[in-house]
Amino acid sequence: MKTKQFDIKKFLMNYALYVIMILMIIVIACISPKFLSLRVLRDILMQSSTRILVALGCMFIIVCGSADLSGGRVVGLAAVVAGSFAQQAAYYNKFWPGVGELPIIVPILIGVTVGGLFGVVSGFTVAKLKVPAFLATLGTQMIAYGVNCLYFNKAPNNSQPLGGYTESFSKLGTGSILGIPYLVIIALGMGVVIWLFQTKTCLGKQIFAVGGNPEAAKVSGINVFKTLMITFTVAGALYGLAGCLEAARTGSASSSYGLSYELDAIASCIVGGCSAGGGVGSVPGVIIGVLVFNVINYGLTFIGLSSYWQYVVKGAIIIIAVALDVRKYANKN
Amino acid sequence: MRKKLVSVLLSTAMVATMLSGCGNSSQDTATETTTTAATEASAEGDTAKSGDAPVAGVCWYNFADTFISNARQSLINIAEADGAVSVEDADSQNDTATQTNNMNNMFSKDVDYLVLNNINTGAIDEICNQILDQGCYGIFANTDTPSDANFEKNEKLYSVSSVATQSGTIMGEAIVDYWNTNPEADRNGNGKLDYVMLLGIQGHYDTTVRSQNSVQAIVDAGIEVNQVGGDLVCEYARAKAQESVAALLANYSDDIDCIIACNDDMALGAIEALKAGGFFGDTGKYVMVTGVDATAVGCDAVREGTLLVTALNNPITLSKAIYKVMKLTSNGEEVTTDSMGIEGVSVEGRRVWLDYKAITKDNVDEAAYDVNDTQIDY
Repeated sequence: MKTKQFDIKKFLMNYALYVIMILMIIVIACISPKFLSLRVLRDILMQSSTRILVALGCMFIIVCGSADLSGGRVVGLAAVVAGSFAQQAAYYNKFWPGVGELPIIVPILIGVTVGGLFGVVSGFTVAKLKVPAFLATLGTQMIAYGVNCLYFNKAPNNSQPLGGYTESFSKLGTGSILGIPYLVIIALGMGVVIWLFQTKTCLGKQIFAVGGNPEAAKVSGINVFKTLMITFTVAGALYGLAGCLEAARTGSASSSYGLSYELDAIASCIVGGCSAGGGVGSVPGVIIGVLVFNVINYGLTFIGLSSYWQYVVKGAIIIIAVALDVRKYANKN
Repeated sequence: MRKKLVSVLLSTAMVATMLSGCGNSSQDTATETTTTAATEASAEGDTAKSGDAPVAGVCWYNFADTFISNARQSLINIAEADGAVSVEDADSQNDTATQTNNMNNMFSKDVDYLVLNNINTGAIDEICNQILDQGCYGIFANTDTPSDANFEKNEKLYSVSSVATQSGTIMGEAIVDYWNTNPEADRNGNGKLDYVMLLGIQGHYDTTVRSQNSVQAIVDAGIEVNQVGGDLVCEYARAKAQESVAALLANYSDDIDCIIACNDDMALGAIEALKAGGFFGDTGKYVMVTGVDATAVGCDAVREGTLLVTALNNPITLSKAIYKVMKLTSNGEEVTTDSMGIEGVSVEGRRVWLDYKAITKDNVDEAAYDVNDTQIDY
């Protein structure tokens, strides 16, 4: 009897959010059975795709025992920069009038590079200059936003939302193979790559070690500086990629893109089982975390509720997740 | 343990700030018009300091705002080209405290004109008193206009602002036109106009006037309306609107006749979701979508036939009107609709009103404006 009770508690502690998500899906489907359709699944996955990339980047940093507030604004900057190089040659309101039509890989590489550079700056500030990560990345967040506004306001664009993307770039955001959108393939593909990196490579495991106990990691011969630099750079590159895809998905870009995506990402990571203290986190968990929030966003709008309910439900879920996280550690100690 | 608890608490606090996310604030606010007796502004001594051009100190609410950045650049260009008034400006960074600092700064520089793109709307009376004490001209630009009492107290007080309600009315009227001429616009044939409302930020002045006046114009035309879905607060963001409309379409695809968005970005997000949901183009399925701002991409959508209408608040008209008020008063001339002489600008007392312009497929080319256009005398 006693053992059984313990098991239920443990089960709820580990899987409460999945239970809540499944309950929500059941409730929404009862209100409107159309919710259980392929179209809805496809929409939710598609809306989650860019968020998954941001959350995966964020996961690296949280696992490493650090924090990153720059994600959203770096997504915004990468979206604008990538978008500015993805316009048709003949588009009348071209960002770079002299530049012809570029192959799709160019804007993506530029976007990823911009994101990566911001990761390098954040990483250096945290790892070398020893600035607390919250403040260092608050700084890079502001710089990213400022740079974005300056770039976006450059003549002849003068802060007009971007448009007129090349066909291949638009296809990236809207097209699909066998009914599976490219965006979803990219996001899940990156998830697999990162999962392999995290669980099968030495460096991946070092990141966990640094997050779990930096002192112990240092003593056991891990180069903490290098590990932090790589973590932040990879995260930045993922934000950059997310920015490119966000531009392609929405068919535009402006300096307001990516606002508060980093907080959504942190929330998804925590809900997905990353420990706010570092050293714990997995790719499948984070992806589920992102899906939980997108099911809420989509589902509540789907049944015609006001957007404010999304905040109430999301807030409640964050509280439950963090409360459970704290309890897990209380048990361990 | 303690460290972990601290970081948990920190992240909770951080996540909590997510709820207070701030969106694109925007630009134009104005209240209902009330006529006051026109009083000719006097242009004595104080503007003629040692024969130099009078100086205008301009406090814009946010340089990063598209509309403001265009108006600002245009005003600088006009002042440079004309030379009758010289302009220096400051950025309030969407913060009332910064605005107050900038304003005091302008006062200590002893400017002849204070042009205030005010965001501290609760303190209008206080600001008007400060301007009166300072003795300079005060021009409230693209914001709530001061009360009649303030205008009576200070004959050097002006306001230059768009008629914000028009942005909503323009959307509503375009919907009424389309509805009345295209019977198939009632897609589910229920005799009601089923609309989706994409809000910017609730309580935000633009969101309020645009959402209320658009629906009001439809109701005034005797059409019964029905709102589909809840209040969709998309914070003026394209991605959010796209996601919300995609979710609504999955459930109410056949029951939506029109989507009213409080700005072009959200309207374009809705159009993107509609395209993905099998509307427009060769599909033959059409839903009315309306927006405000007449951005370049918005005008593209108007040309393409996906955006029914967008309302243009021309930043160049704003800067020209501000400049013209300064130039006229510094010459001792009266500010009237005639003396202003700018299209879409009318003067009531010392309130200068700028009209929104409806941009549809028929006149989409008139939506273009040029920050280098410095012509103020017509």
